[in-house]
Amino acid sequence: MTAITGADTAATAEAVKFLQTRHRFHWAEVLPWVIAIAVFYLLPGYRLLATQILVMILFALSLDLIVGYAGIISLGHTAFFGTGAYITALLAANNIPDPLIGLVAAAIGAAVLGFLSGWVLLRTAGLTLLVLTMAVTIMLGELANDFDEITGGFDGINFTNSEIFGLIEIDQLWYTSSYIYVLVVLFLSFLLIRTIVHAPFGRMLIGIRENTKRMSAIGTPVHQRQVLVYVISAAIAGIAGALWVQVQGNVTTGVYAFELSGDVLIMIILGGTGRLYGAFIGATVFKILESLTEQILGTNQPYWQLTIGIVLILTVLFARRGLYGIFEDIGEKWKDRSQ
Amino acid sequence: MSKPILETRDLAKNFGALAVTDNVNFALAPGARHAIIGPNGAGKTTLINLLTGALSPSSGSVYLAGGDITGMAEYQRVKNGIARTFQINTLFMGLSVIENLYLAISERMGVATSLVRPAGKDSAVMEEAVRILNILKLEEDSLTEIHELPYGRQRLVEIAIALALDPKVLLLDEPAAGVPTTESHIILDAVDSLPKDIAVLIIEHDMDVVFRFAERITVLVRGAILAEGSPDDIAANEEVQAVYLGEGSHD
Ligand SMILES: Nc1ncnc2c1ncn2[C@@H]1O[C@H](COP(=O)(O)OP(=O)(O)OP(=O)(O)O)[C@@H](O)[C@H]1O
Ligand SMILES: [Mg+2]
Repeated sequence: MTAITGADTAATAEAVKFLQTRHRFHWAEVLPWVIAIAVFYLLPGYRLLATQILVMILFALSLDLIVGYAGIISLGHTAFFGTGAYITALLAANNIPDPLIGLVAAAIGAAVLGFLSGWVLLRTAGLTLLVLTMAVTIMLGELANDFDEITGGFDGINFTNSEIFGLIEIDQLWYTSSYIYVLVVLFLSFLLIRTIVHAPFGRMLIGIRENTKRMSAIGTPVHQRQVLVYVISAAIAGIAGALWVQVQGNVTTGVYAFELSGDVLIMIILGGTGRLYGAFIGATVFKILESLTEQILGTNQPYWQLTIGIVLILTVLFARRGLYGIFEDIGEKWKDRSQ
Repeated sequence: MSKPILETRDLAKNFGALAVTDNVNFALAPGARHAIIGPNGAGKTTLINLLTGALSPSSGSVYLAGGDITGMAEYQRVKNGIARTFQINTLFMGLSVIENLYLAISERMGVATSLVRPAGKDSAVMEEAVRILNILKLEEDSLTEIHELPYGRQRLVEIAIALALDPKVLLLDEPAAGVPTTESHIILDAVDSLPKDIAVLIIEHDMDVVFRFAERITVLVRGAILAEGSPDDIAANEEVQAVYLGEGSHD
């Protein structure tokens, strides 16, 4: 740790130390990855569900960047997920089946869409922004349905990926290599996101969330920065969409489903916004609940919506910082006791 | 008076039919200690908002060191040396004092978009944050979140952030507003000890403070400049006395 001139009182020294060490890894941060690997070996029957959860975690992480960190509330994040999905699928169906090229193209395509829509939409805020992001997504969904010669409509397009690095095949049946593939992409993306939020850029986003008026008054071009994080977030959402279809070898206009925008927002509220691990918990709980409700009560929509509605109400009432907030509280108590 | 650092020419701002800033020709000298006084609703805060670019004028122009900045965005003016405090605290309420300063300084030093190195590792920013904490004697509250601080301490953070921007011009909008009189001296002491090379424009209702601090006073009434001059001129001005006898009582 670098000594900071002038930090002479105990209080300033403590503050400096806190800021200098905040980004360090906590041992508990290995847990999600240990669990993910344990699931792979111990519950092979659940690999399909687990793969879906991993992709949703990435999608939720991308949304947390704008909602939880920058305070930009969006109900249209499927626009980027769907665009990433279609770019990858269309490339693969047109003789560019390399999955990594697919990921990169998805990220770039979604980022471009993020830039174009963000530049205009982010001049608004709050409810207006919510409605506009929603409108863009619904519009893209409609376009995808109308141009079903290209998109395949409800039936979709089937495609095959080539091997990763010409070596590893993404198996679409047993979710073996494809599970590992998704896990690795999630892990690398997470490291990237974690780095960003601990860097000055991430702190700046929190400033925008806390007070845009004050941000302008300290010299921040708020709109530009909002667009910047929107683009980054869109790119990651695009990667999530690409993964989603790569492991299935199929894409339908369902990837533009507006409901998915709501689902992913619910996931981060459930897990806790602005804290990254909320996305892990929220996506996992959401998908497991969804699958349990289906098993117990059948696939009838009302039951599932009722269940998630009740869970959401309970979270908002009793766990304001989401389920991850509860873990934080337990961690704090534990630390207090051991001191 | 030497060449002004900040100047307005025929500056006007209307809210609908209401002329809130009415052809104001105002100049602030480098290193000045200048006060704006005027009754409630005279348009003092609006004038500051026009100077910082938080509002754009209906007509007229604003000059910084001789250059026209009328069309310049607020954030860009900050980078060019105009800092302000708010009449009502406008802080990052959920963040600690040191983080409030960190944000201002990292923006000023141009590292706010850096994506890789952990924020706390930037020693230049950290040293500057600690320096400002020390100047305003906020050390003990370094890690306290703003919403946990008493209002008076929060007012100090307003000034601290403005100082952290290393301004040429500092616009203080009633820095002691909302603070109990028993504590306001802490804030006014901080204002008194601001570096001499910064031009300070202060809006203040307490006449004792104004006459002790200011070398020059502008009186704003219903958006227009009623009088301007040295504290002695203003004290002797009959029009000003009339306004303050007639309207000052509902302050
Ligand atoms: N955004 C706005 N829209 C409409 N009217 C406004 C707006 N902002 C200010 N006003 C009006 O303009 C007038 C001047 O307001 P301003 O806040 O500049 O006064 P002030 O001199 O700072 O008063 P105070 O001493 O109470 O702070 C007031 O009548 C106020 O109601
Ligand atoms: Mg005012």
